[in-house]
Amino acid sequence: MMPRPQEKVDFTLTDTEGEPFDFRARTEGYVTLVFFGYTYCPDVCPIHMANIGAVLDDFPLEVRSQIKVVFVTTDPERDTPERLRLWLDNFDTSFIGLHGSRDEVNEIQVALGLPASVIEETEGGEYLVGHSARVLAFTKDNLAHVAYPFGTRQADWAHDLPKLVDERWE
Amino acid sequence: MRLWCTSSQGVAWDWTWQPYVGVWLFILLIAVAYWLHLRRFEPSAWEDCTQRRRHIVFFALGLFLLWLALDWPIAPLGMGYLASVHMVQYMLIALIAPPLLLLGFPAASYEKLSDRPRALATLRNTTQPLVAFLIFNVIITVTHWPALVDPFMSSQLGTFALDMAWLVAGLVFWWPLIAAVPAWPRFLPLFQLAYLGLNGIIIRPPFFILLFSKYPAYATYELAPPIPGTSALSDQQLAAGIMKLGTAAVMVVAMVFVFGEWVRSSKRSDA
Repeated sequence: MMPRPQEKVDFTLTDTEGEPFDFRARTEGYVTLVFFGYTYCPDVCPIHMANIGAVLDDFPLEVRSQIKVVFVTTDPERDTPERLRLWLDNFDTSFIGLHGSRDEVNEIQVALGLPASVIEETEGGEYLVGHSARVLAFTKDNLAHVAYPFGTRQADWAHDLPKLVDERWE
Repeated sequence: MRLWCTSSQGVAWDWTWQPYVGVWLFILLIAVAYWLHLRRFEPSAWEDCTQRRRHIVFFALGLFLLWLALDWPIAPLGMGYLASVHMVQYMLIALIAPPLLLLGFPAASYEKLSDRPRALATLRNTTQPLVAFLIFNVIITVTHWPALVDPFMSSQLGTFALDMAWLVAGLVFWWPLIAAVPAWPRFLPLFQLAYLGLNGIIIRPPFFILLFSKYPAYATYELAPPIPGTSALSDQQLAAGIMKLGTAAVMVVAMVFVFGEWVRSSKRSDA
């Protein structure tokens, strides 16, 4: 649980179809899981996405249809919309991938109470992107009452998400 | 420098070789101890030269398989990424290497145990078939219990303890079948077949957990960087299959050997 619920932030980024995605308008009335990461991430991002995808796959349609997952790339240079779409499809084809400039995305992260992402150079001219490992869960009241750290397991998601859908997060 | 392999601890899998110095020392220690043990025997203690070579080959093969299970790449894959490889490790350490290691000792080694009455008494108490069966199955159940395995696999000492528990469990299980201590009553072939058969069909609780749980049972594999083309749950179900069918296969092979030996010895006594 977050000590103080985090309000949704108004922003519009580009989705993997190249269309503008108005975050507040398009997620209104849904439980929305928001995660900032990148497709070259070696650990946290694929683990979170794989676990959420596996659990959603198991939910009945009436629960599943009330949940959106939004993945915002923190590595716009390498994560082209095509690559982002392909990568997300490994986990769930309904996952929404958003793309914006590094500054735009950092501003959104800070507005949501998350640290801005940072580039970490590695050997051979490659780089990693340091970013928050938390998934923000916005409920239908447009507030994030809960944030899920790295280490959240499928059983935890399966336990919590239906409760968030039913607005029973206390 | 790592002495023993641990869970992946957030590092993505790649094929970069890693040394596990503790594993090398452990294997070397066993090899040296075996060589020193063999040197104690006069040539006359051996049945014949072929027999001697056979014992050495069995022991070397057992030790090689043990090393294979404990070192890169099986160990890091099994301890950090794939439950199915973890189960292959278990098969090698607990079910396949121990009988080969025990077959590596000549009859004279087991005869020599009578020089150490206290060790012999302890061995006798722990390796009576019913006790050995219980010890093996309790250890295997406990060492696959998710709540215990996850914390153990996060440290070198923990994974060392798991590996040693499997090895000891395997040696205890196979002892009544292979180690022929002359002073002890013979384990009759019919009972040997029952002992192996029962172990082949017994269903331990971890098997149910692995096969039927809706979500991954082990945090280690669920929270390890995924290997493309696998999911934690399908990997876990494969692990359950390896555990059940692999154990059954080893038991069937052993039963064939026991039955064959039984038929041969019956023919010899008839002749």
